[in-house]
Amino acid sequence: MDSQAVNQSQSGNLNRPGTVAIVVALVLLPFILSQFGRTGEFWIWVTTEMIITGLFAMSLNLILGFGGMVSFGHAAFFGVGAYTVALLMKKAGVPLFLALLAAPVAAAIAAAIIGWFCVRLIGLYFAILTLAFSQLLYMIVFQWYTFTGGDDGIHGIPRPEFLGPTSYYLLCLAIFLVCFMLMRMIVNSSFGLSIRTIRENMERAKFIGINVRRYQWINFIIAGAFAGLAGGLLCELNRFAQTEFLHWSKSAEPILGSLVGGMYSLAGPAVGSAVLIFMKIILQQLHRSMVEMWAIVLGSILLVVVLFAPGGLASLYQKLFRKSDS
Amino acid sequence: MANHILSIEHVSKSFEGLQVFNDVSFAIAEGELSSIIGPNGAGKTTLFNLITGYHIPDDGKIVFEGRNIAGMQPFDIVRLGMARAFQRTNIFPRMSVLENVLTTVITRQKGNLNFVTPTRNLKSAHDRAYEILEGVGLADMAQRLSGTLAHGNQKRLDIAVALALEPKLLLLDEPTAGMSPEERWQTVELVKQLWERLKITMLFIEHDMDIVFGISQTVRVLCYKTLLAEGTPKEISANQQVIEAYLGEEV
Ligand SMILES: Nc1ncnc2c1ncn2[C@@H]1O[C@H](COP(=O)(O)OP(=O)(O)OP(=O)(O)O)[C@@H](O)[C@H]1O
Ligand SMILES: [Mg+2]
Repeated sequence: MDSQAVNQSQSGNLNRPGTVAIVVALVLLPFILSQFGRTGEFWIWVTTEMIITGLFAMSLNLILGFGGMVSFGHAAFFGVGAYTVALLMKKAGVPLFLALLAAPVAAAIAAAIIGWFCVRLIGLYFAILTLAFSQLLYMIVFQWYTFTGGDDGIHGIPRPEFLGPTSYYLLCLAIFLVCFMLMRMIVNSSFGLSIRTIRENMERAKFIGINVRRYQWINFIIAGAFAGLAGGLLCELNRFAQTEFLHWSKSAEPILGSLVGGMYSLAGPAVGSAVLIFMKIILQQLHRSMVEMWAIVLGSILLVVVLFAPGGLASLYQKLFRKSDS
Repeated sequence: MANHILSIEHVSKSFEGLQVFNDVSFAIAEGELSSIIGPNGAGKTTLFNLITGYHIPDDGKIVFEGRNIAGMQPFDIVRLGMARAFQRTNIFPRMSVLENVLTTVITRQKGNLNFVTPTRNLKSAHDRAYEILEGVGLADMAQRLSGTLAHGNQKRLDIAVALALEPKLLLLDEPTAGMSPEERWQTVELVKQLWERLKITMLFIEHDMDIVFGISQTVRVLCYKTLLAEGTPKEISANQQVIEAYLGEEV
């Protein structure tokens, strides 16, 4: 693998004026889009989904890129967050902000239980066990009709009146930025270094005194919490929760986003997810039947990335701009 | 009689029916620089794996500073003050040389659960890491990606990582393996000098008899699933059993 791409001693450098420009552009975006009537509103919705999915992908990447563990079951925590928001708001009348606080807590608890078993395994076995647990959760939600609505999901989740499309976009953006800063802090901290140490050489990590399983478990819980928050946000965006949020294909989304964006960078997975969503929507817009083509397009993108840019968009970016940096 | 920092008591170990050790016992005096020799496959590395908790003995005790550590996890044993460097280079290849040592220093300081402070702001840990790298002559390569170092320097980094744990007992598995003759003697000098400076107990595995007899206070010979002999270099080189079983083939 590209040795340059994994030198993460300084992840998410924010001193560049470029970062400020990006944030400003993201804040202004919905105000510009809202000038374009219904189409504009649709694109505000799409970009909100991009932000949420980006958060989801970044949360997985704490395990995947930084931890070196492939999880096929990250949707479990996304789904737990979504259903927490849905159930609390719809059935208990809890206000949105409290529900959004509860989502990562519930997801963290789920991740603590599931992770406790999973980190006992490594490699493919770890991946399979995460998949098994998420499918188990999927089946429970699917079958427990009286509580979760089963296949129908939970619809009609209330939306506070002051939250129009633009303000909800801004809320998601604000939460995303806070989470970004938190994750950046974590990966640059001693804990983050310990996680990378384990990824680089698990056996040797034990011989420098690192309790490998414990730190992998903690990392798994942190990743689960962020995923739960993302799930809660998407639930409120769509105003429904459905079993699909827990499906294995939902677990694949952040993996694909991380591959395309670059899993050895902090923002890469978010960018990759946004690019994938954008291409899928464009395909839909060109012609309804083109959606059928999505699998082919996605396959081609992945092929190009794996063959020509194994570090994803992040490594392409580094290759293009590294010279001007130094 | 000196204090024993480590004693191996009646240890036996088999892998799927293949016995590697049968009732091995010996003890290492505190502060000693000693070596283990023996033919390929004699079980030297396995012995280190047993001492450091990578393998659990089928039978017997491993007593480190008065405490039976057989069955304990490697990361717990490390925290008691034991470190090892590996026969086959075993570093964190896609991290910088500095980070390899820094992560170890942080672990040694029990600082892994700090989620807030950027590692680059940990001044004392950085200073300590540089000090250790200077001690093994790698300070000027601190920012290099460790996987890109030449083999000899990777072995040195492996030793630096072990030193960062500030061990009371340091185990070195063939520290000169795969090195050019010149590098070998540099490494031997380094080992000797570290031992004199740090005043810790060191146990190393080595195939080169000149090195073994040159710097060890005690030499132990592993052969035929057991400890064949133990003594000063002089005693060992004159030991008839050792000459027949092991040294003979080299001369
Ligand atoms: N995990 C294991 N599973 C099965 N057999 C093993 C294992 N570890 C070591 N062995 C066997 O134990 C024996 C001793 O191996 P070991 O690596 O300890 O030898 P060594 O003395 O270090 O040799 P060398 O000088 O080549 O490094 C060998 O026959 C080896 O195949
Ligand atoms: Mg060996």
